[in-house]
Amino acid sequence: MTVTCLGCGCACDDVEVGVSEGRIESVAPPCPLARAWFGTGQVPDRVLVGGQTASGDQAVAAAAELLAGAAGRALVVLAPDLTAGAQRVAIALADLLRATVDGATSASAAEGIVAAQRRGRAAATLGEIRNRADVLLFWAVDPTDHYPRYPERYAPRGGGRTLISVSVGADRGPVPADLELTLTPDEETGALSVVRATVLGNRVGELPASLQSTAAVGARLLQARYAAIIHDGEPGRESRSPYRTEGLIALAQALNHSTRAALSTLRAGGNRSGAESVLTWQTGYPMAVDFSSGVPRYEPGRRGLDRAARGEFDAVLVAGSAAALSKTAEAALARVPVAVIGPRASESRFQPHVAIDTGVAGIHEPGVGYRMDEVPLPLTPPLSGIRAAAETLGAVLGAVRGRLGR
Amino acid sequence: MRLRIAGGAVHDPANGVDGEVRDVCIDDGRIVAGLPAGAPTLDARGMVVMPGGVDIHSHFASSSCNHARRLIPDEHAADPVAAPELLEGELQARSGTGGTVPSTFTTGYRYAGLGYTTAFDAAVAPLLARHSHAELDDTPCVDGGIFVLMGNDEYLIRQIEAGERDRARDYAAWLLGAAGGYAIKIVNPGGVEAWKIGQRNVNGLDDAVGGRVTPRAILEVLTDVANALALPHPVHIHCNNLGVPGNAATTLATMEALSGRRAHFTHLQFHCYGGEPGKGWSSGAARVMEYVNAHPEVSADVGQVMFGPAMTITADAPVEYLLHKSSGRRWTNIDIELETGCGIVPLAYKDKAAVSALQWAIGLELFLLSRDPWRMVLSTDHPNGGSFLSYPALIQLLMDRSVRDERLRQVNPGLLGGSALADGLAREYTLNEIAIVTRAGPARLLGLRHKGHLGLGADADVTVYGRDADIARMFSTPRYVVKGGLLVVEEGQLRRAPLGHRLRVAPGYDEAVLRDLRRHFEAYSSVRFENYPVRDLPGVPVPLGQQ
Repeated sequence: MTVTCLGCGCACDDVEVGVSEGRIESVAPPCPLARAWFGTGQVPDRVLVGGQTASGDQAVAAAAELLAGAAGRALVVLAPDLTAGAQRVAIALADLLRATVDGATSASAAEGIVAAQRRGRAAATLGEIRNRADVLLFWAVDPTDHYPRYPERYAPRGGGRTLISVSVGADRGPVPADLELTLTPDEETGALSVVRATVLGNRVGELPASLQSTAAVGARLLQARYAAIIHDGEPGRESRSPYRTEGLIALAQALNHSTRAALSTLRAGGNRSGAESVLTWQTGYPMAVDFSSGVPRYEPGRRGLDRAARGEFDAVLVAGSAAALSKTAEAALARVPVAVIGPRASESRFQPHVAIDTGVAGIHEPGVGYRMDEVPLPLTPPLSGIRAAAETLGAVLGAVRGRLGR
Repeated sequence: MRLRIAGGAVHDPANGVDGEVRDVCIDDGRIVAGLPAGAPTLDARGMVVMPGGVDIHSHFASSSCNHARRLIPDEHAADPVAAPELLEGELQARSGTGGTVPSTFTTGYRYAGLGYTTAFDAAVAPLLARHSHAELDDTPCVDGGIFVLMGNDEYLIRQIEAGERDRARDYAAWLLGAAGGYAIKIVNPGGVEAWKIGQRNVNGLDDAVGGRVTPRAILEVLTDVANALALPHPVHIHCNNLGVPGNAATTLATMEALSGRRAHFTHLQFHCYGGEPGKGWSSGAARVMEYVNAHPEVSADVGQVMFGPAMTITADAPVEYLLHKSSGRRWTNIDIELETGCGIVPLAYKDKAAVSALQWAIGLELFLLSRDPWRMVLSTDHPNGGSFLSYPALIQLLMDRSVRDERLRQVNPGLLGGSALADGLAREYTLNEIAIVTRAGPARLLGLRHKGHLGLGADADVTVYGRDADIARMFSTPRYVVKGGLLVVEEGQLRRAPLGHRLRVAPGYDEAVLRDLRRHFEAYSSVRFENYPVRDLPGVPVPLGQQ
């Protein structure tokens, strides 16, 4: 059957999976991330309280007791691999608990979000880039590494398109390209200014040799009918300049003075974009929301898991795949009572107080997942038979409401 | 639930009731003729009873709104909203944030708190309709629906170019059903596509887009489609040249092009400017209203500008680019494949700014020069002209000339020469006229047979206002609001927050269109054809047939 893959933010909705006797036997096309995402579709189906097998009802009650007891000092983590529907319930729970709720938005992606809050942005849905862009500028990313089908589906070579590749240190752009530029991380911010100045038609004067080809990038962008600037929202190999995303946003906006342009931000999968979208419509903020004062407060500089590492919470609910969180996050979660409700909860590398295994969004659970460009797609799962995260979270929500009388 | 709203002065203009003291009886979510003695009674003596408010044009549940929300953490930080104290057993009360683009739950609560029980999001890209429905699921207290953007749709343009009018109709019908939409929306016909292809914009009805089709052709085809499909609401038009001096001529040309055909013109204030680009602005309201008053096939909502913060959110992306360029403010632009655009710029209308003052005056002129309130209804194009929270202040300006004149004296008069408002418009709206422009009129224009009135069988959406010499205060804090028979506001406090119903249509079409459409999707869309329609929508489609 044809399904949508959340293995990366491309959310390809044309993936063919073959299923036999409840197992996924084949995944086509042979994208390594799709294969890793679907695997065999086999996930554990256990319910544990204190490390011991328990019934679903017991575990829901135990999670509710834990969380209700920590009301006002709890963290809800919107971990990856849940549907938007399940994320909605998890945020409702956070609101009820006066908890802090935060997603799996990486530090780099968060930087980009805050930059866009300062400036706005010029963007496009991915089909627009495919249909329209005649100049593709890859800035410090070769999508084939972490977004294998992005080039094929959304930014194909050929057809008269010009490809510009900028490498920043170890973060290489694709090769070969029509125009290639290599920068050291130290040069990046200055180079971005030169490109933007060129695009704005400002005189840049005599440039040092290292920046001369930078002006050529600006000149080529100006010749585009529609330029797509593609960069990685997620961490790369290099520690990036904190000004990169803002510089690229400004560049894409500036290009629109004389031609058309869009910035395409590559994002990881697991419906991370969905978590940001749902949080925004429910609270007004895309991440790091603190309900402890009874209203949503935005704390983008104090991310939830960092605060957990500092011991600021009495209990944590991980809604989603704990295994998809970083190792430092896991270390933080080892020090506080945690309930994990999500795929492979029982295989968490720390020992949660409550672990309820659920299905994976789009593999076992129907619903909606968001692509990196925030286009919502239906998820039609090839498998079933394991409890759904949305319903389980809903049961915990009901039980906490009962306990708190709200 | 049964309820008798007893002894209030009832304003139910759809049924010819103008302030008569009578009971309104509710049973099982509907208005009924009577109730047995002993039924629960709400004492409305001395109060004003109207149907629940109906917002014909608002932006509150869309992907574009969410982009706007994301852009204003500063506004949200300044307007945090605690969860309301709902009665036990109701749906979970949710906290949120306000500002010009509130979070979804807060939007629903605030609409209810204002006595509004129905609202439409007026601009949804069908590719992103799934998102709108999810937001509507989280917007309690109001029955809601979405208008589907079609005026720059690539497939539609191809059909018009090829002279395939029947296929254009079948496509539009399919698209409405696929998106779970209620009406056809046109935004700057052809102009958004022009922006996307680098042509920047169109200037008049006969400017071809990419040498392919004209705005005139798009307008004619979609107007005819809406009428041929007998959609409950005719085509909903945001004209070309929004916000441009001299655009009243474009607006009149658009109305004339569609003469004799039912069409709704939205946020007309933004399309009623005299003057010339680069040479100044003036009011073109009187000219446009002369046409509107003489043509019963035309209806409009005003899109009043209110002084204060606003958020401009529109599919009219080229306009937002110009606004960004002239204001230097934050700017979001999202090009949406094959369908439309999206532009967002936060803004503030200042009474000391000449253009803002002119816009404010033009909106009021439209209201005050309108001879038929049923066809010129209230909107601020929330949040473009101001928040829906400013409706009570707007109602006060309409009902109280002294307040209006006093405000007029405070604004920048620089561009008000020749303005009918500045020349003195004495008219004051009556309560019945307010009931028309805020509920009965919009409901009728939307073809909502069960809304906007209190006749037998109508939805039991009722608002009860305490009389107050301060009109703005009266309309900002209704004493009671009943939604679908449920008392949601009691003594000015939100006590229940039920989920609203979804208002959508599903017109029939010749399925032959699907074969061609599938090929189009396979060639150009980043989403599979099968994944495009929104499935599992709540409720049942509204019957077709215009009033």
